[in-house]
Amino acid sequence: MLFEDMQSKDQLVIGDKSFTSRLFTGTGKFNDQQTMVAALKASQSELVTMALKRVDMQHQDDDILAPLIKNGMNLLPNTSGARNAKEAVFAAELAREALQTNWVKLEIHPDPKYLLPDPIETLKAAEMLANKGFIVLPYIHADPVLCKHLEAVGCAAVMPLGAPIGSNKGIKTADFLEIIIEQANVPVIVDAGLGSPSHAALAMEMGADAVLVNTAIAVAGDPVAMSEAFAKAVQAGRQAYLSGLGGQSTQAVASSPLTAFLEASL
Amino acid sequence: MKIQVNEQVVEVADNTNIERLLLQLDKPLMGSAVAVNQEVITRSQWESYIINEGDNISLFQAIAGG
Repeated sequence: MLFEDMQSKDQLVIGDKSFTSRLFTGTGKFNDQQTMVAALKASQSELVTMALKRVDMQHQDDDILAPLIKNGMNLLPNTSGARNAKEAVFAAELAREALQTNWVKLEIHPDPKYLLPDPIETLKAAEMLANKGFIVLPYIHADPVLCKHLEAVGCAAVMPLGAPIGSNKGIKTADFLEIIIEQANVPVIVDAGLGSPSHAALAMEMGADAVLVNTAIAVAGDPVAMSEAFAKAVQAGRQAYLSGLGGQSTQAVASSPLTAFLEASL
Repeated sequence: MKIQVNEQVVEVADNTNIERLLLQLDKPLMGSAVAVNQEVITRSQWESYIINEGDNISLFQAIAGG
């Protein structure tokens, strides 16, 4: 089946929203707002992340919100900066007011060096936020047991990492992502560490429901072109997954007939 | 009267509500969030919540992030 036909029947549903594009994007690290908006448009992404910060009373920050809303993007605020469950819940409640959405990407990473998510605080916060009516998408290590716990407390999706945030190292957690994908009853969004379109395609071929990419697009030489490359890779990976990949074998399996017709004619 | 906004002393008129405070500080209404004494004030309360002398106000803003 061609991609356009496939895509029309292949909506991703998370919480109360459905998505055609399975590439979610972040808004951080772009050199300027114009490039960011152009790259997000090129990505065809329908869900973009944002962060929250304490206002600097001395300086006026750029308004990046208006162009995102103007372009019809759904916003996914994160709780980046929260070091524990209590801070994350506070951040989520603030984000809900700032962006008027009950969607939240729950991130709790107390260690600034590796930014690895704290599983205990994340699970605690996820349960509290789900009980308060939030659509919770937790950023976590690729831990299949934790994913089941998060599902049980009401998370709308899980966001296991491929590699540390911003590292561009690709999918270092493949074996565990496979288990997560096999067991999940909620969408699995591979987040963090995807550094090139091939990494994103691999995640999608493995059966991930979506990927979230920020750094690899924002810091590329040409972020707009890279964004489009990621969009194509995600589409190709999804199409390959739906098409049913052939199995692997150790020995060669001939693609051409091995009859000895040359010998016979000599 | 004097209040604290993000650790800065700010002078506001009596009966100032949250919405008026944001306008006074030239901050956008969209994309902002406000906590008073560590309690989040929902947008629906911005008009009715009257700031008291000595209130400690935290002001947050949506920014780019991953």
